Amino acid sequence: MAEDLDNIASFEAKETSRKLPVGWLILFWGLIIWGIYYFVAYTPAISGWSQEKAYEESIKK
Amino acid sequence: MNDYQYDNQTVRGFIISSIFWGVVGILIGLWISIQMWAPSWNIAPYFTFGRMRVVHTNGLAFGLGIGAIFGIFYYITMRLSRRPLLFPKLARFHLYLFNAAITLAALSLFAGMNQSLEYAELEWPLDIGVVILWVIFAVNIFGTIIKRKEEQMYISLWFIIATVVSVAVLYIVNNLFIPAGLFKSYHLFAGVNSANVEWWYGHNAVGFIFTTPILAMFYYFLPKSTGLPIFSHRLSIISFWSIVFAYLWTGAHHLVYTPLPNWIQTVAIVFTMFLIAPSWGSVVNGFYTVAPDWSKMRTNYLTKFFILGITFYGLQTLQGPTQGLRVVSQLIHYTDWVPGHVHMGTMGWVTMVVVASVYYIIPKIYDTEIYSEKIANMHFYLVLIGQLIFSITMWITGIQQGALWKAVNPDGTLKYTFIETLVKNYHFWHMRTLGGIIFTVGMLFFIYNIFMTIRKGKALSAIKREGVR
Repeated sequence: MAEDLDNIASFEAKETSRKLPVGWLILFWGLIIWGIYYFVAYTPAISGWSQEKAYEESIKK
Repeated sequence: MNDYQYDNQTVRGFIISSIFWGVVGILIGLWISIQMWAPSWNIAPYFTFGRMRVVHTNGLAFGLGIGAIFGIFYYITMRLSRRPLLFPKLARFHLYLFNAAITLAALSLFAGMNQSLEYAELEWPLDIGVVILWVIFAVNIFGTIIKRKEEQMYISLWFIIATVVSVAVLYIVNNLFIPAGLFKSYHLFAGVNSANVEWWYGHNAVGFIFTTPILAMFYYFLPKSTGLPIFSHRLSIISFWSIVFAYLWTGAHHLVYTPLPNWIQTVAIVFTMFLIAPSWGSVVNGFYTVAPDWSKMRTNYLTKFFILGITFYGLQTLQGPTQGLRVVSQLIHYTDWVPGHVHMGTMGWVTMVVVASVYYIIPKIYDTEIYSEKIANMHFYLVLIGQLIFSITMWITGIQQGALWKAVNPDGTLKYTFIETLVKNYHFWHMRTLGGIIFTVGMLFFIYNIFMTIRKGKALSAIKREGVR
């Protein structure tokens, strides 16, 4: 019984090995930009938002 | 006798052990799903929901999951390093110690010994055992990789390394407990710090037991079983580094709207949402890999396990991050939505890829073919249907639960009592048990197929040995 050892070269496509799909790149950078926005908007020391204030407002009506 | 025979037997030992613990874990899962709508199925003190649920989660995460990871990692590492394991006897000892540890773990949980932190329930003497177990594993994996006979390290090896390192760090830090006797201990961290460390651990247990190791298997067995090469090496590497970087920051999304400082929650949510990108990097890579020849979905029975698996991974990694958002979390957190989410990951992604890897390995070890592709196909459709019933019913009932809990009268009082919201779950809980039964029957097909393949393989090698004489 021969052991089939792996030929790493056969694991990865040659022509497309360095490709990054455009849609995926947009997702990648978009999420980083969104993350910066969200961090600024929901950090009490920067925007003044806090979960306590948000709660108070929600029960005001 | 070739150099790999002994190591292959160790791999097979881990696979059979993990199947055994999987059966135990799944049957207990079925039992506790019945307890939700038929309380008489609680038999105090040992067979109550509180004790059995932890046996279910630990049995499947550590017995089935980690057991399969040990065996399959040894298999992959040997082949990608082009050499047998560096310490074959140590790996065999590791197998025995693993089963002893899981046995003791199950017994101690049934006995009610519990550190009371999710996925870190095992008491401190067992924690020490787990650490020893993991060090043995790490020594063998790293040793084999360092002494490898292939210069290039394929992407699966990177995922394997990340798994071994991260689980060690996570497990040790969260299990820093101060013993108060042999079976009782207290977390080193108190209050909100304890919660923060616990969920840093708890969420990354998902990351480094249910994600990175399964991706290692996916990237290895997809090209092996289809003959199609991975679409983009670069995409796999970027996905790898960004997922291991981002995952470790995300734990606090389990503590949204708690006393944990707001900014820590916010940072966790940011990194959680970012995780969509590296997760979908692997999803896209998987789809593009099979794209040149979609007929493989019909002609190669394993392809559909991998492609459906990575599809559920894609859905899981969209749903999961969205749940972290405050606006979504306040509706679905603490409801049945959450087990729906978890089980899409475990039954749809982890199980699909693990069973496909086992279907690949077992016939290879015996130099034969799978006993029956027809049974494998039956298995595939049953676990797919069972999982869908489970996840979808829980999402519906979870949203309903959340909406009922949040409904208030004009004067600000709650519209529904807790028991009123509870009874509305019963239909869905019945359906979940049905989904679970279908899934379990599917897994029985799998087990039968694997054992018949082993039997066939043993008979074949006996014939070959006779022939040589």
